[in-house]
Amino acid sequence: MPDLTLYNYDLDESCYKARLLLSFLGLDCKIVAVDVFPGREQTTPPFLALNPLGRLPILTDGDFVLTGTEAILAHLARAHDPSERWLPMEGEAFARVMSWLTFSARDLDVTITARQRSLFGPPGDETSLVAASRRLLRIMDEHLLARGYTGEEWFAAPHPTIADIALFPAFALSRDVGIDHDEYPALRRWSRRFRGLSGFRVMPGIPEYF
Amino acid sequence: MDMQGHWYPVSLAHSVEPGSAAGVRLDGRELVVWRDGEGGAHVWEDRCPHRGMRLSLGFVREGRLGCLYHGWEFGADGQCSHIPAHPDSQVPKAIRTRPYPKEVRFGMIWTALSAEPPPPLPEDAAEITPVASLYLDCAAAAALSALRASRLPPFRAGDHDAGTVFETVAPTLFRLSAGSESILVGLQAVAAERTALHIVIEGPGVVYAGQGQSHFLRWAQELRHRIETPSLNSANRPGEAP
Ligand code: FES
Repeated sequence: MPDLTLYNYDLDESCYKARLLLSFLGLDCKIVAVDVFPGREQTTPPFLALNPLGRLPILTDGDFVLTGTEAILAHLARAHDPSERWLPMEGEAFARVMSWLTFSARDLDVTITARQRSLFGPPGDETSLVAASRRLLRIMDEHLLARGYTGEEWFAAPHPTIADIALFPAFALSRDVGIDHDEYPALRRWSRRFRGLSGFRVMPGIPEYF
Repeated sequence: MDMQGHWYPVSLAHSVEPGSAAGVRLDGRELVVWRDGEGGAHVWEDRCPHRGMRLSLGFVREGRLGCLYHGWEFGADGQCSHIPAHPDSQVPKAIRTRPYPKEVRFGMIWTALSAEPPPPLPEDAAEITPVASLYLDCAAAAALSALRASRLPPFRAGDHDAGTVFETVAPTLFRLSAGSESILVGLQAVAAERTALHIVIEGPGVVYAGQGQSHFLRWAQELRHRIETPSLNSANRPGEAP
């Protein structure tokens, strides 16, 4: 049995991605609740010792400490998924997973910022963040639409991968910033399939049924 | 555009799977489109008779649409058939959703804002291959004039010099043909400055699935790019009819 610990905040969508994969893989993991709001506990010395950037999630696997959502997903899949389905190793599927993980880490950050501002921040003008979020969701929607033309239903492989996990919360939580799902039919169908995966878990803000 | 008395497409048919629901907007009004287990389509006001929450967030179970909030369930006739808090009592007949006319044709789901169904849509072609729904930041009239001005590149080689013929099939349905190939475009007036175009190929999947669909998706994305990039609209419009 692996000795896994996740430093977690329930309302954080990046932590949710790690929780999702742990659940899909059926892994036992100790969950340590971190008081992010209002406590900002992740920026106190004990947590800065684990991640000097002061961010969650943090995963420990035995003595190994790992930070960065995409790296955590990749590590869990590589080290604890013998089927290699969640992180396929063969040519194009692997490259496509990497490409969407990069998109998630670099571009989808905007959707996280938009949501944090509207949930926790002072009232302000989120218009440009929301417009940017819409553009990103449209890129995702049209990628899946085009893959659907050849019968593909997931982002990177003929089955779900950590790319789908990395992308799911941005769409599922988009209503928090006022982006309805009406205009993303391919993402809607994908998110229904995603919710139907065995081991799927919700987080606050994502309704159980859809 | 006069919204009364016409059918409007609100979704590609395959975008709402059997057993699921989706929210759509027509002339600013929020509607829910859902399909029962057999695939029958229903269009209602997107408002739960209980507390007015959006029904499109709900779930479809055994041919009924259930509201996410307190689980009231509504049958295909719009009648409330189950209230979880009072499972044994008879639900009063007055508790029902507001239905709109509905039709599935040309690979699209249609509705109208009038109480009575508008005059019937024309019969559809035998085989349709879906392409995409495009959502645009402009009024329906602007989307229509961009569509009129666009040139349709045929998918199959050999037809390359064919000119584009634009044809009105119904008040909100248009055909663009080039040689022996044609697509249909349904126009949804989402709100005053928001329009959706629902695009299908008139032809069988064996010919168009995959590359043919991608070909017309690229055409659609270029059309959208021209609409969204105003500087392209004044001069130098590559790919457009003179
Ligand atoms: S608002 Fe729909 S059941 Fe209460």
